[in-house]
Parts: sequence; C-alpha cells; structure tokens
Amino acid sequence: MGTEEGRKADSEESFYPSEKDIEKWMSCAFDMAKDALQNGEVPVGCLMVYADEVVGKGRNEVNETKNATRHAEMVALDQLLDWCRRGNLEVSGVCQQTALYVTVEPCVMCAAALRLLHIPVVAYGCRNERFGGCGSVLDVSSAHLPETGTAFKCVPGHRAEEAVEMLKSFYKQENPNGDQNSSLL
Amino acid sequence: MEPQTKRWKGSACDADSWVAFPVLSDQQSQDVELVEAFAAPIVDKKETSRLLRELNAVRPLNGLQHVKRVRAVRGSGGPHPLEVLVCLVSDAPDLKVVSIDDLLPPDGVQRDGLGEPFVVKVPARPPLTRPQFELASKHWPTSFHEDKQVTVALRGELFGPLRKARMSAYMAAALTAAETGAALGMEAVGAVAVDPASERIVAVGHDCSGDRPLHHAVMVCIDLVAQSQGGGCYSFDRYPACRFTPQTSGTFGGTEASSQPYICTGYDLYVTREPCVMCAMALVHSRIGRVFYGTSSADGAMGTKYKIHSKKDLNHHFEVYKGVLGKQCEELGGLGRPRQKTRAH
Ligand SMILES: [Zn+2]
Ligand SMILES: [Zn+2]
Repeated sequence: MGTEEGRKADSEESFYPSEKDIEKWMSCAFDMAKDALQNGEVPVGCLMVYADEVVGKGRNEVNETKNATRHAEMVALDQLLDWCRRGNLEVSGVCQQTALYVTVEPCVMCAAALRLLHIPVVAYGCRNERFGGCGSVLDVSSAHLPETGTAFKCVPGHRAEEAVEMLKSFYKQENPNGDQNSSLL
Repeated sequence: MEPQTKRWKGSACDADSWVAFPVLSDQQSQDVELVEAFAAPIVDKKETSRLLRELNAVRPLNGLQHVKRVRAVRGSGGPHPLEVLVCLVSDAPDLKVVSIDDLLPPDGVQRDGLGEPFVVKVPARPPLTRPQFELASKHWPTSFHEDKQVTVALRGELFGPLRKARMSAYMAAALTAAETGAALGMEAVGAVAVDPASERIVAVGHDCSGDRPLHHAVMVCIDLVAQSQGGGCYSFDRYPACRFTPQTSGTFGGTEASSQPYICTGYDLYVTREPCVMCAMALVHSRIGRVFYGTSSADGAMGTKYKIHSKKDLNHHFEVYKGVLGKQCEELGGLGRPRQKTRAH
C-alpha cells in the first residue's frame, strides 16, 4: 500500500499546468461565466482540462433539476466521467492528469467530490465566502481525510475582483433585496 | 411504498436494541474551559450586599454573566460561610503575593468586610448542556439556561417506543437497500428519505459508486427526492432498489415548493453510515430536516472529522442523531465492495 501511495504522489507531482495554461483556460472559464450572467444564470465558469482538451464543462443546473447538488463542478465532473466511458479510459488515470479551472472557489461538497476523484489541481478566481471548501469555510482541499481521495493543490486569486463583481450583479438581479441565502455555488 | 423489512425483521431490529444519541456541536460537547479568578472570604455576612454592589461597580466580571459572584462554602465548618469573586487573575496586577489592597482601587470598595484573597477556577463560558453545567458547577456556582430537549436527548430518551419502532422500520429499509447494492458489487450503504409529517418514505437509495464514483447512497437519494418532485438528473432504472414515491401535486407544499430547489426541506434522512464530506454538504445544500445514521465512518462529516450540520459559518443547520440500528449498520461493513484508499469510493 505504501508503494502504491508513493507512486501516486509521484504522478501528482509530475502533473502541474504551466502559467500559460492557467492563463488560457481561466480566460475560457471567465468567458463562460460572463455568458451565463448575460443569460441570467449563475455566473460561474468551470472547465475540466485533460491533455489540453476540455473534457468537462459545467454550468449550474440546480433550478432545472431541483437537485441542489448540481453545481457547475458536479456537472463538469459528470461530463468527465462520460468522456472516460466513451473513450474506454480508466477514470482514475485520467483524473490524476486533469485540472479544474473555475471562476469561484469550489464549495465544501464540490471540493470533497474533486478529492474523491483524485483531481490534483484546482485554479480558481474569487473566494466563496459562504460555502468555500478550499479554505473559506473549511479546508477540504488539504485536510487529512485518508478515506476521501487525495488532497489537491489550489491556485487561487485569478482575476478575483472580476469574479466577485459578476456574482454581485447576479445576486442583485436575482434578488434586489440583497438576500443571498441561496446555495447555488 | 412500504418499508421493506423482510431481511431485517424480528428481534434483531427491535427498538429496544439501540439508542440514538444526538451529535452535538463542538460548543455543546467540548470540555468546560476554566479561567482563574481571585476570590475572598466575606468576613461579615451582613456586609454581603454592599460588597456585591461595590465590587460589581469597580470590578465587573465582563463576559462572565453566567458565573455567580458569591458562593456558600458548604459544610466547611470554617469561620466564613460565604466567598466572593474579587476579579479575574488576568485583570489583576502581576504580583506573586497579592493582598486585597492590590486587587482593588483605592476607593470604591470598603475592605473591612473582606478576608485575604486566594485563586479559584471559574467556567469561562456559559454551560450549554447539563453535563457541562454539572462539571462547571463543581468549580464555582454557575447559572444554566437548560435546553430540555438536549438534556433528554443526551440521556437517549428523546424518542419513545412508538417513534423508535418507526425509526427502526426506516433504517431497516436503508439496510435492505444497502444489502441489495452490496449484492450488485457496490459499497454496502443505504439511505432513505422520509417525510415525517406524513410518515411516508419519499425515496430509497443505495451506493452506486461502483458504476459512478460520486454516486454515494446519499447523493443517489437526493436525486431520487428531486425525481419525486419532477426533477432529478440520473436514471437509476438499473437499480430496482433505488426508487421514489411520486408526489401527487396536492400533497407537496403547493405554492412555494415548485420554485424552490431546496427539495429536502422538512425531510428526515436515514443512512446506514455517517455521511462523508461531500454527502454532508449536499444535505446542507438540500436543506435536509434531520439526519439519523447507524454507525460512524472514518472520514465522517457529521461527528467524526467535521460537524457540518452545526458549522456556524454555514446557512443551514440541522439535528443529527447516531446509533439507529447501530449494530446492524455496523455489521454491513463486511458486505459489498471493500473500500479502497487509492480509488474513489
Ligand atoms: Zn459546489
Ligand atoms: Zn458520501
């Protein structure tokens, strides 16, 4: 078991997106978020990238599914799993070489889901003050949870102000009274 | 849909075989924290009310409103039946040997009623539960605003025999689902959502993670509840034990229900094993009413590693009880797909 974990750690160490990759894919994620905002949807952009290919692309589907767990990240992870199935690829092998780019810090639930699938790197824009699972509410990303997949690295703060502004304008149009009690992130 | 109890029926599942205890917040379950204070004997009992008035004015015990300022010295047989708190040690000047004059300003308190000070320990925070109250009171008299339900729950007496029989039936349905899933090569975990108002089972799910790694029993159950209200996003047709009772339009909350994604509002969830972080937070997002689980799990997020249901920063809190059919739920551990550390479970 020790050696297996050791080997795993090596493969994680070896996978890390370059600055240029982060810049490029975060810019795509921001485009998605802007698009969502213009269509009155939750302004979160979210991409899963494996070997320079987008294998999952999520938007929040909580309202249409009545399932409060359908956050953009969960939708994107499902697409990743479908992509693996179609290509007949082993899920864990793909996941360990996949990065998530998302405009807002994943919530506690999504952070745990990313761990369970062994996603090694998450780049995000602004903090998620109310639900964040990468340090804001809990630090699920790095906590000692040996039965919950593997810890992942975070690359926070990419165009953070812009991401916050989009959320603010969304909540303003969603609820002019400023009640931000919904759990859509 | 009736609870399936065929496998778990009989004495093994009877309501006398288990006790459900509440999983309380850290604040409610932590040890009593103490702070040091100076106390002094009241030499002349008749001076008590004057001393209290003067001490409260010059040395208020800020943040310690739960601590009684005066205590009776029980059965000491000593010369002074009462002792009074003078001030916190942290508020006193840093002196090795203190006299009463070191602790009080020159004016404001007439000293002649007070004896020489000594150090005592008093509880730093108001007790939230009866066990905390009893511990705190051993150190110094403390006031306590009792939450009767918490007291009864901590004694394991919150649920009467009829209620427990119901709860056994719901958990038995979760156990049956877990077994069915295990027979299909899944992890042996089952979950049941119940509408406590109508005593109806809304959805039953088991772990399907052998097929989709994130399909833990709780996540399956949440989607099935959504399906019962015309939503949902997965098909569990291949798993006949994963099922829901469709809502007829009249029975569910009517006006607000259709537009709200908080589908589990007011529902109880019975799950054989303590939910993981993902599932626990999914239940927060879904606004679950209460959660009952059978047995703890290593990375559990409702008592073991976290207490997500009572986390202050989150916007939804709920009660959690553990131990419902605890023994049977524990025995499930040996069934089904073994847990693998390096693979998603
Ligand atoms: Zn999330
Ligand atoms: Zn789970």
